[in-house]
Amino acid sequence: MEDIIRLEKISILSQNFEVLHKVSARLPRGKSTIVMGPSGCGKSTLLKVAAGIMIPESGQVFWEEKNLLKLSEKKTAVFRRCNGFVFQDSALWANKSMFENLALPLQFYCRDWSRAEIEHRVFSLLDIMNLSSQSHLRPAQLSYGERKLVSFLRALVLKPSIIFMDEPTLSVDHEMSERMFKIIKELKAEGCSIIAVTHDSNLISLIADYLLIVKSGYIIEEGNFEQVRRSTNPEVSKILSFVLGEAATYDQDLLDLLNG
Amino acid sequence: MNIPFQLTLYCKKLIFPCQSHSIIGHKSYFVRNKIIEVSIELCYAYKGMVARLGSWFKTKVKNFLYASGFLLTLLRESVFFIKHRQVGFRVLVMQILFTAVEALGIISLISLSLGAVIIIQGISILPKFGQGNLIYTILIIVITRELGPILTAFIIIARSGTAIATELGNMVVSHEIEAYLSVGINPFSYLLVPRFLGVIFSMMLLTVYFNLFGLFGSYVVTQFVKPIQFLEYFRSLLSTMEVVDIISSLIKSIVFGIIIGFIATYQGFQVQVASTEIPQIAIKAVGQGFVLCILANALITMIYYI
Repeated sequence: MEDIIRLEKISILSQNFEVLHKVSARLPRGKSTIVMGPSGCGKSTLLKVAAGIMIPESGQVFWEEKNLLKLSEKKTAVFRRCNGFVFQDSALWANKSMFENLALPLQFYCRDWSRAEIEHRVFSLLDIMNLSSQSHLRPAQLSYGERKLVSFLRALVLKPSIIFMDEPTLSVDHEMSERMFKIIKELKAEGCSIIAVTHDSNLISLIADYLLIVKSGYIIEEGNFEQVRRSTNPEVSKILSFVLGEAATYDQDLLDLLNG
Repeated sequence: MNIPFQLTLYCKKLIFPCQSHSIIGHKSYFVRNKIIEVSIELCYAYKGMVARLGSWFKTKVKNFLYASGFLLTLLRESVFFIKHRQVGFRVLVMQILFTAVEALGIISLISLSLGAVIIIQGISILPKFGQGNLIYTILIIVITRELGPILTAFIIIARSGTAIATELGNMVVSHEIEAYLSVGINPFSYLLVPRFLGVIFSMMLLTVYFNLFGLFGSYVVTQFVKPIQFLEYFRSLLSTMEVVDIISSLIKSIVFGIIIGFIATYQGFQVQVASTEIPQIAIKAVGQGFVLCILANALITMIYYI
């Protein structure tokens, strides 16, 4: 498998606390990578480092074998242009309306677009989540779930080829989650590389190709979904059973037997 | 004997990191010879003091270099702003609207009051010394060259400097800056540069406005105290005013604008993780802004007279 992003010996310090300890990982191109682990183990930090949002204290991040931390401003912009990020806390721009939150990346990158074209693109996305009628509202006027949806749509607005998602379905109702799953499945089918931090077993079972298991700032297991699921490492089994349920750690033969 | 021991106690209080070493030295040598024990404690204390001083100095140098780099990046991005960042023009316009247009009321009031006070004092006192004509020189020196730029700077620090610092601080805490990065918008060129330039333009505009309004206001007040003909007043004023007075006022307004814009944006980005840091950086933005503007004002005035 070819890697779209590769992390080498990444260390992150936060207020003198080492969040990630010389972590190395590879994120395969066109696949869905799920990052799992207990709360506070450094999953979100890992995601931000991979997306080039957070600069590590030491280590390297490679995007298509180019060192992301040493790229020129122009090449960094190319990288940003082709990726989207869904934040755990939505991170919407508070002084902008829902419409403006989605329109700003387009105004920045598609300068030859007319206002009508931008409006068309933004409203076509808002329509998917039934949010068009509220496009003038500011983030403070939205519920947590709605903010999450807008954050998800903002990540899609530039039609990314890599999408980073930090707990995308958190606070989102079942119906909206289903719509998100549909879009994520479509993105995957189109060859988009997906890197997601999630505890949502539905999302994991739907898209997971590759798993990264993180614990206390270390990657304790990495590999294909099936391969990791059958890991003999008790720590890995514990995390998987906690997130996916006990059945996730059963052998396929046993599952077949249980299913009759 | 007493003096070194007191010194040791003082050092133990002062230098916390070496306290444990001092206690070890104290125990080892206490039974045999008290004088030796004291000197060893002092040795540790001095060592700790030097280490702390070194660490403090290193941090200061690091912060200074970081701030210098921040200012240079801000200036560099400002130069390229017009060429590259059309999207940020709206932010620039909004900043000028907030900093300059919305401050017109308070600037008018202050400049009018100042002009009135100077003219009333001047008209009352100067003729007694036979120096009635000096009133125009005083008006120009006080309003145009000195108080106009510095009072405008104070108003901008209090209104916009704090607003910029707290707004940016809030953006850092709520991960909005990371969101800008994630969509490929450089926060420096989109958020900081328009605010920085907005403050500089506003500072220049408001200083010019302050000067004009102050001088005009003083004429209006004169009409109530000692009526002078409009033409006579402005002819005397313009004949006293020199180009260098206007240039000095403009240079000060640009320098103060750079200081306020830089301090506000720099402090805003100093927020790390918590919203409790925001009031602290607002206080720093105001304090540092005032101090640096006063120092710059003194320096420019001194250069003018040298």
